[in-house]
Formats: sequence, structure tokens, C-alpha cells
Amino acid sequence: MVMGGAVTTGRKVRWGLVDILVLVFALVPVLWVISLSFKTKDTLTDGNFIPVSWTFQNYADIFATSEFLRALVNSIGIAIIATVIAVVLGTMAAYAIARLDFPGKQILVGLSLLIAMFPQVSLVTPLFNIERQLGLFDTWPGLILPYITFALPLSIYTLSAFFREIPWELEKAAKMDGATPAQAFRKVIAPLAAPGVFTTAILVFILCWNDFLFAISLTSTTASRTVPAALSFFTGSSQFEDPTGTISAAAVVITIPIIVFVLFFQRRIVAGLTSGAVKG
Amino acid sequence: MAEIVLDKVTKKYPDGALAVSEVDITISDGEFIILVGPSGCGKSTTLNMVAGLEDISSGELRIDGKRVNEKAPKDRDIAMVFQSYALYPHMTVRENMAFPLRLAKVDDKTVNSKVDEAAKILDLTAHLERRPANLSGGQRQRVAMGRAIVRNPSAFLMDEPLSNLDAKLRGQMRTSVSKIQKQLGTTTLYVTHDQTEAMTLGDRVVVLRGGYVQQIGSPQFLYDNPANLFVAGFIGSPSMNFVPATLEEGSLRSALGTVALTDRVRRLVEAADAPREVIVGVRPEHFEDANLLDEAQKRGGTTFSAQVDVLESMGSEKYAHFTVEGDVATSAELAELAADSGSADVPGAGSAIVARLSAASSATEGQSVDVWFDADKVKVFDPANGKNLTYSE
Repeated sequence: MVMGGAVTTGRKVRWGLVDILVLVFALVPVLWVISLSFKTKDTLTDGNFIPVSWTFQNYADIFATSEFLRALVNSIGIAIIATVIAVVLGTMAAYAIARLDFPGKQILVGLSLLIAMFPQVSLVTPLFNIERQLGLFDTWPGLILPYITFALPLSIYTLSAFFREIPWELEKAAKMDGATPAQAFRKVIAPLAAPGVFTTAILVFILCWNDFLFAISLTSTTASRTVPAALSFFTGSSQFEDPTGTISAAAVVITIPIIVFVLFFQRRIVAGLTSGAVKG
Repeated sequence: MAEIVLDKVTKKYPDGALAVSEVDITISDGEFIILVGPSGCGKSTTLNMVAGLEDISSGELRIDGKRVNEKAPKDRDIAMVFQSYALYPHMTVRENMAFPLRLAKVDDKTVNSKVDEAAKILDLTAHLERRPANLSGGQRQRVAMGRAIVRNPSAFLMDEPLSNLDAKLRGQMRTSVSKIQKQLGTTTLYVTHDQTEAMTLGDRVVVLRGGYVQQIGSPQFLYDNPANLFVAGFIGSPSMNFVPATLEEGSLRSALGTVALTDRVRRLVEAADAPREVIVGVRPEHFEDANLLDEAQKRGGTTFSAQVDVLESMGSEKYAHFTVEGDVATSAELAELAADSGSADVPGAGSAIVARLSAASSATEGQSVDVWFDADKVKVFDPANGKNLTYSE
């Protein structure tokens, strides 16, 4: 153990307590939302953590209207397209940054960092005007483009760190073994970079999936409104009805893809995949 | 099988640094050539240029008479073993070794039989389905060798392939590398900074310093007839002893006493037009305990007495370390050698001398001993340019 010291019962208990504290802190709000989504309209405000009377009515309600389904399709489509493009472009850019020496490399790296740090709020109004002029407002590309802009620096940074970890000699060895540069990339570098690519894909996907600012500002109809934005338009069947239950249900539903995504790719993010390539 | 010719091959980096300068080497078919030198001497750069991993700035590289300067590594039919082994971690040992064949689109049956054959030669049959991460250093090294062997290339390039192994394993692998090369008869270019590997493995050794070839020859020839101070100091372990000396009237006066030159040495020195101030070099084994020699033998050399600082008894022989008073031999070559071996950091006045004495010697630590050395075996160097003034073909 790096920290040193024997694993005594006292240590175990202390660490156990800390672990539980962190888990409670992180999970209670999530569990609360799940709990709300299963409550009936009458018991919604009773303050019980575990619903007194269970119901699936909220879930039935959100899927009964086309509004939520349409938003879900928009969310999935926009996030996946933006992720794929950002990761593919990011992989190429990161490989070049990690491996090649080209003029303007430092400027490129600095610029992408600058974009990542740029406050998005200040871009919303100009983007709104530009997209209306170009006819991109309230379309899928209208959201995909800004998402890629902000996801690219993230993917370039994460991926170039991964590429730097891959010993350069492996590429030389592949060349000596008779591979073309493309073959060397495909058969040796890409499989080794896979964990990095998947990690980046998850991060970028979450970034796009969770975005509310652009989604609410650059859309106006169900044509391209994503779930986070659509949630804010939820109302009850009448003006006076409280939509908390349905919003909670919708929140639970849009959390599921993220969990599935992470669980699915987690198996591929095997640490130490490169161990054994070189001495050590 | 191939003949490799380096014709005035030069590597100059864009920033103007000259890594390799006009290297001329002709490697005949099946020959085992060692490139040796201290770090930064350009040996790895030379190897990379032959491999095609680095561009050749000027000069020509010919394999079997054909210019290959512009050819990609994959078109040169050369296999390389890297210092770090560079095994593909996501493939099993079998797939690692099969990789070059798969790229060449060889059919599965041939691939398997070739891999199995190579695995048998390298004693890897039991490990074929394992991944590199689960192998020991020696096994990884053998897999790297196997990957080079399977495709039966026209030449092997090896970049310090044994330097990551521990001393015992290195000795074993050295023998097996030599055996495999003889068995396959493949032209081999081997880079090392270890002069033991250079002496034991190669048919011929190329000594490099700062991008310039110092000398090319068989290990024994380089040992017996070094062209200059650098080669003399680099080849041999323990290395040659150097002391400054004055040359006058056919004798050499130095801290080791005055030696009358033998006729053979005198003729060579005169022919080379030697300056007055020179550096004299004596190999450790050319010393002997004077008490063990009879008068007739002693006449062929000079005896001096020195106090033994440290005595290392190897059983079959004894190494006596002592210090002689007076100036230390200085030259650019010696300074570079000292920096490379780290001995530049060891403080001490006077010249440190190592002498190999017979096991029968009664020399003891802290005691004075009479040491004799063979006058015919001394080497005389010009301190200005390091040239061996007693060099003879």
C-alpha cells in the first residue's frame, strides 16, 4: 500500500465512515428525485423519503405526450453526432500534437485551451443572432456545431495525454515490421489508445447531454429542443397543476442513458493496458 | 542475406548539429558488425538511418548494391530489435511474433509454422499464448528477437538489445544472440555501449566518437593496435593505463620509470615523427610482479616500485591498483572517456594504475611492490591529436 500502515479494524471503520459520508452526500439528491418520480400527486409534498403510495403514473404521463419523446430523440441524436465528430477530430489533432513537430503547434494548443475557458454565457447572444441569419437556429446542426466547439478542446487535451503515454518505439517497431503509417496507426496505436478514446467519448457525451444554456437559447420548437430544455417547459394538464412528479420522472429517464453509457464503456477503460510494452 | 554499404553517410539536424559525419562502413553478407561508443557518439542515429527511421542528410546507403536512401523502412527488408523491446502489449506473444508475417499477408498455416519454429529456437513455446506484461525481462527480450527472426529478413539491426537485462542474464543472452546469428547467418548491425559485448560478439567492431568513425577492425586487432587514444581507452576492461612521458634519446621517461624503447617500437615512433611530450599507454596485463621474473625476462622491460592501494584477488589473477606521482595524462579523448565512465568525478592526485599480476604474486594492500612492465608492449600517443604513434597494421 502506498499510504503505508497496517489495515487495522480502526482504519477500516474510519475509511468506511468517510466512504458512507461521500456516498450519502452524492446520492441523496438523486434518490430524492427518484422517490419523487414514484409518488402520487397527493403525496408529492408529504416529505417522506420512501413514497407512501407507489405509482408509475408520472412515467406514463411523460411518455403519453410526444413532447418528451421528441426531446429525447433530439438529445440522443445531437449528443451522439457531436460526440462522434469531436472524438474523431480530437483523436487526429491529439495524435498530431503528441507525435509531430509542426509550426504553430503551441499556438494551436493555447488556442484550444482558450476556447475551453471562454465563458459560454457571453457567446449565447452572438450565436443566437448568427444562427438566425444562417438559418441554423432551431436545427440539429445549430446545437451540434457549438457543442463540437466546446467539446473539441476537452477531447484534444484528454487524448493527447493518452497518446503521449504510448511509447513511440511501438510505432517504429510496427514500421520496421512492414506496416505503412496507416497500418501502424490502425493496428498498434489505435488499439492502445482505445481506453483514452472511450474515456474522452464519455466526457464529451456527458458535456453535450447535460447542456442547458445552448439548448434553451438556440431552440424554439420541438424540432431540436433537447431534454434539459424541454424539462423547463413541462406543465401539468392544467395551469394550476404541479409538474414536479413528471419532471422528476423525466429527470430519472434522462439519467439512465448516461449510466448505461458509463457502465458500457467502463469495461474497456482498463488501466495499465500498455504495461509490458517496454521494460519495467 | 545482404551486403550493406554506408557510403559517406551523414546526419545533420535542422538546428545544425552534426550527429554522424561521413561514415563509411562496408558490411559483407552474413557479417556481425558492432557499433560501439559512448552515449551521444551517433551510433543509434547511424542504426536508425540504416533502418530508415531517420533520413540520411547526405551520402548513400546501399543494400545489395541498390540505393535505399529514399525507401520506407518496410521496403528495406530489415528487422530491428529495440532496446525497450517495443512489444505490442495488446497482442499475445504469438501475435507479436506473427505481426510482420500478417502484414506481409502470409497465409495462416505458414505463419503458425514459422512462429512455432522461432519459438522453439528461442525457447518460448510455453509462453506463446501469454501477453508481454506477464513475461520476465529475458522472455520479453527473446520475443523481440523472435519478431525479428520470423520473417527471415536480409539483415538484423539491434539497438542495445541487452542493456535492460541484469548482468547474469545479459551474459547468457549474449551467448545466445551470437549462436542465433551464426545459425541463421544473417547480416547483423549491433549497437552497444558495452565494450564487453563489442569484444565478444562481433566479427568486426566500429568505434564511433562524436559522429566520426575512429577505427574499424576485428576486436582483437582493435585491442592490440588501437588507432588512437580514444580506441585504446575505450576497448579493454580494465582499461589501458595512461601516463604522460617524455621521449628522448630512444627512451621514455615517465612516472613509471625510464624505459629503453625496443627496436621495433623505436622504428615506429621515429617513422611517426613523434613529439617530445607524449602519453604512454600500458595494458594491465603487460605488468607483472618483478619478484616472479628472472633476470633475463626483466631485461625486456622496466621495473619500478609502487605502493598497492587496493588489491583485488580474482583467484586466477590479482588486480593491483596503485597511484603514481606526477602529472595526469590529459587529452580531449581521455577527458571524454572519463566523463562517459563517470571516473571524471572521482577525485585523486596522480595517475591511477591498474596492473594484472599473477596469482602467485605476494603483493599485499598497503605494501610496496616491485612492478615490471614489458617495454615492447607500450603504446605511445600524441597528446595533441590522440594518434597512436606506435600503430602498425
